[in-house]
Amino acid sequence: MINAFLLFFVIHTTQIGVGIHGFQRVIYQEAKHDAWISVLLIGIATHIIAIFMIKTLEIYGSNDLYGIHQDIFGKWFGNFLNFIYIVYCSTAFFSVLRNYIEVVQTWVFPNLETWFISATLLLLVIYAFTGGFRVIVGISFFSFVLAIWLLPMLVFPLQFTTARSLLPVMENDIMDILKGAQSMTFTIVGFEILNVIYPFIKDKNNVKRHVHYGLLATTIIYLSVILVSIAYFSPDQLNKSIWATLSLFSIVRFPFIERFEYIAVCFWMLIILPNLCLYLWAAYRGSIRLVKVNSTQFVWIFSIVVFMLSLSVETRTEINAVNNYFSKVGFYLIFVYPILLYLLAVMKKKYTTRKERKG
Amino acid sequence: MFKKRFNRSSKREKPSIDANENKKSESNQKENVFPSSSKDYLQTIKDHTNNPSDLVVKTISPNITVTYMNSLVDDRTLKEQLIPELIRHKFETPESLKSSLFIPEVDVDDQINHSVLSMYNGTVLIHLDGFSQVVLAKITTTVSRALAAPENESQVIGAQVGFNESLSSNESLIRRYIKNPELCNERFNVGKQTNTTVAFFYIKGIASEQMVNTLRQRISDLKIDSLLDSAVLAEYIDDNSLSPFPQMLLTERPDRFCDGLLNGKLGVIVDGSSMAILCPHAFIEFFQSREDQNLRWPIASFLRLLRFSAVFLSIYLTPLYVAALTFHYEIIPQSLLVPLSESRALVPFPPIIEALLLELIIELLREAGARLPTKVGQTIGIVGGIVIGTAAVQAGITSNILIIIVALSALASFTTPSYMMGNVIRVVRFPLILLAGFWGFYGIMLGFCFILIHLIRQSSLGSPYTAPFYPPRFMDWRDSIIRLPLPFTYKRQKSVRPQNEEKYQPEPINPEKS
Repeated sequence: MINAFLLFFVIHTTQIGVGIHGFQRVIYQEAKHDAWISVLLIGIATHIIAIFMIKTLEIYGSNDLYGIHQDIFGKWFGNFLNFIYIVYCSTAFFSVLRNYIEVVQTWVFPNLETWFISATLLLLVIYAFTGGFRVIVGISFFSFVLAIWLLPMLVFPLQFTTARSLLPVMENDIMDILKGAQSMTFTIVGFEILNVIYPFIKDKNNVKRHVHYGLLATTIIYLSVILVSIAYFSPDQLNKSIWATLSLFSIVRFPFIERFEYIAVCFWMLIILPNLCLYLWAAYRGSIRLVKVNSTQFVWIFSIVVFMLSLSVETRTEINAVNNYFSKVGFYLIFVYPILLYLLAVMKKKYTTRKERKG
Repeated sequence: MFKKRFNRSSKREKPSIDANENKKSESNQKENVFPSSSKDYLQTIKDHTNNPSDLVVKTISPNITVTYMNSLVDDRTLKEQLIPELIRHKFETPESLKSSLFIPEVDVDDQINHSVLSMYNGTVLIHLDGFSQVVLAKITTTVSRALAAPENESQVIGAQVGFNESLSSNESLIRRYIKNPELCNERFNVGKQTNTTVAFFYIKGIASEQMVNTLRQRISDLKIDSLLDSAVLAEYIDDNSLSPFPQMLLTERPDRFCDGLLNGKLGVIVDGSSMAILCPHAFIEFFQSREDQNLRWPIASFLRLLRFSAVFLSIYLTPLYVAALTFHYEIIPQSLLVPLSESRALVPFPPIIEALLLELIIELLREAGARLPTKVGQTIGIVGGIVIGTAAVQAGITSNILIIIVALSALASFTTPSYMMGNVIRVVRFPLILLAGFWGFYGIMLGFCFILIHLIRQSSLGSPYTAPFYPPRFMDWRDSIIRLPLPFTYKRQKSVRPQNEEKYQPEPINPEKS
C-alpha cells in the first residue's frame, strides 16, 4: 500500500520514457508549427480520460481493471479483454526497451550488441521487480527526483531560438492538429497504469488530485520541449530528425563537458526503468488472474520472451512499425475505451441495483 | 567423572523410582541442584569446572565454603569486605546471609549450571553446609583500559570520550548522558562457548515496541558458537547480511549512541567490544555526524552537503574518468582535452588499467596505514603519497590528472563519519571502474541503477533504508542532507516509528526575541 501522493511520481514517470526522444517529428509532420497545440490538446485529453478512469474505479471501490473486466463482461469475455490488456502492457514494455536499445546504439555505442543491452536492462528490471511493489514505486520516485535536472538543460538551446517560427498560430487545419494529437499517443500513454495500481492506494480520496498533478507535470514538460524544438529547429530539420530532443541536448555545454547527449542517453536508463518495471508489474497483475504463476516464475518467463523478441526486431523500419501499431491500438485502448468502459460500468451498476431493489 | 555423577544421581533417585512421571522429572531437576553437604558440594564444583588452576576453594569457618575464580573477582572487595563479613557473623540460612551482605548484586540459587556459569562472570559462590542453595555475590573485577578519546570517529567540537571494552563502564557512560528511569537495559547471553554478555538499550515510551520485540527476538534466537565483537553481532542480526552496505551503525561515541536512543533507536552493546550497535539506521544517517548538532545550522548543513557530494565524487569520479577517456573523449571540451592527452601521452596503459593500478596503490597505502603502528603509519603515508605518486607520474605509469582524481576520491571517502560505510564507498568503486572500462557511461549507469535498486530494496530492522527520501517524509527532510535550526527539528524521524513523535512542544519562533 502506498500513499496517494506517490501516484504523482508513478503517473509522471510512466508517461515519460523513450517517446520524448523524438515525438516532435511525428507531430510536426501532421500539425506543422502548431504542433504545440496538439500537445496541449492531448494533454487535456489525458486529464479527461483520467477522470473517467477514476470514476470507473471508484464505482468498484478497490478493484483493478482486470477485476472490473471480469465483473462486467463475465469470466470468458472479461478474461479475453484482460488478455488483450496484458498483451498491450507487454508490447509497451517491449517497445520502450527496443527503442532505448536503438537510441543507445545510434548515439553512444554503435558496436554494442543488442542482446547485451537487452540482457543487462532486463536483469536490472528483474532485480527491481523481485523486490516487490514498494521497490518499483521507489524507483519511479528516485527516477523523477534524480532526473528532473535534465529539464533545465533546455535553457541552453533557448538562446538559439526564434520565437517567430511559432507564428502564425492556428495556421493549419484543425483536423491536422487533431491528427498530430493522435500521433502523440505513443509518447503520452502510461497513465493507464492507474487502472492497475488503484487498489494499492492507501488514501483513495486523494487519488484524483495527485493523478492530475502528475498529468499536468507531464503536459508541461512535453509542451516546453515542443515549444523549444519548434523555435530552435528549422522545419526541414524537424521533419527529418528522429531524435530531436537528443539533438537539443547535444548543444548543452559546460566548461568541463561538451556533447551532453552522451550523458543524457545513458542517464535515460534511469528514466525508462520505472516504465519497464511498472508495465511489467501491470502485466503480472493481469496474468495472475488468468494463470497460476508466482512472481519469480512470471518475471523470468516474461524476460526471456521479451529478450528473444528484442533480438528479432532489428531495423529502424521494424521498430517504427512496432511503434506505429502500438500507437494506433494504444489510442483506442487508452483514449476511447475507458469512456466506453465507464458507461458500461454505470449501466451494470444501475442494472444490479434495480435488480436488488426488485429482489 | 561421568561415572561418579551417575552413581550419585542413581543413589538419590532410588526412593522415587516407583513414583509417577511427575516425580521423575522433579528428581531430574534435583540432579541439577547442589548437594547439601560440604564435601559433596566441593566435588560437584570440581566436576563442573574441570578444576582450573585459577579456581579458589576456601573453607572459612567450619560450615562456610567459598569458591570463586581468582582471575575474575575483585581482590580488594573480597579481602576487605566479603571475607571479614563472613567471618564476623554467624549465618543460619543462605537467605539471611544474602540480606546481610553489603554487595550490590547478591542472589540465592540452587541450580548448578547457572551458578557455575555465573562464577565465570566474577561471582563468588558461598555455600553453607547443610543447604542445597548457594549465595552468589558478584564482585567482578573490571580489567579495562581507561576511557579515551574515540579514535575512529574523532570530531572537533563535542565530548571527547569513547566507549571502551568494558560493558559496565560503557553502561555508566550511557547512564550519565541519559538519567532517566525509562532507559531500559536488558541482558542476553550469546555464544555457546564464550557466554558473552550482550546489553540491549532502548528508551521506553520512545522506541517502537514492535522493533524492540523484533530485535529482542533476533538476539535471543541466535544460536552461535562465539561472539567476540559487536560488528559480528551486527552482521548476525541485520536484515540482509548479503548486502555490502551496513544496516546498523557501529559507533564508539557515547554521545552519538545516546542521541540515537533519544531519537527512538535501539542500541546494543557487547561486552568486550568498544563499538556499540545502533539501529534502525537509514543510509543517509551514516553520513551525519553528531558534531552537526553542535555547529550552527548553516555550517552544519554545508558540511553535510559537502560530505554527501564527497560520497558521489568518491564513487563516480574515477569511473567517469575511465569512461570518458576510453570511449567518450568527445564530451571533454578541447581546452581540457589538450592537457589531459598531454599528461597521458607517455602512459602505455589503457585508462582502466591505469585507474585500477592507482586505486589499488591507494588502497594498499590505506590498509598498510591501518595495520602499522601509528608512528610508522604516518611515515608510510608520506612515503606512499609523495614518493610513489611522483615516481609513478615520472615513470610514465599514470597521468598527473588521474593522481589528482584518485587522491581526491580517496580523501572524499574518508569524510564519511562511519568507518564501515567509508569502506563500502571505497570498495564499490572497483566494480564501477570495471563497468566504466568495458561499457563506458552505459556501464556506469548500469552500476548506478543497480546500487539504487539495491538501496531501495534494503531495510534496517524493517524500516526502509532510503528513508526519509523514499518513502518520502518531507518533514524529516529538514534533518537529512541539511540540518535546519533546532526549533524546526523538534520531531523524531518517522522511519524509526517512535511512540512519541515530538521531542518537545516547540515555542512559537519569535525573531524579535532578544
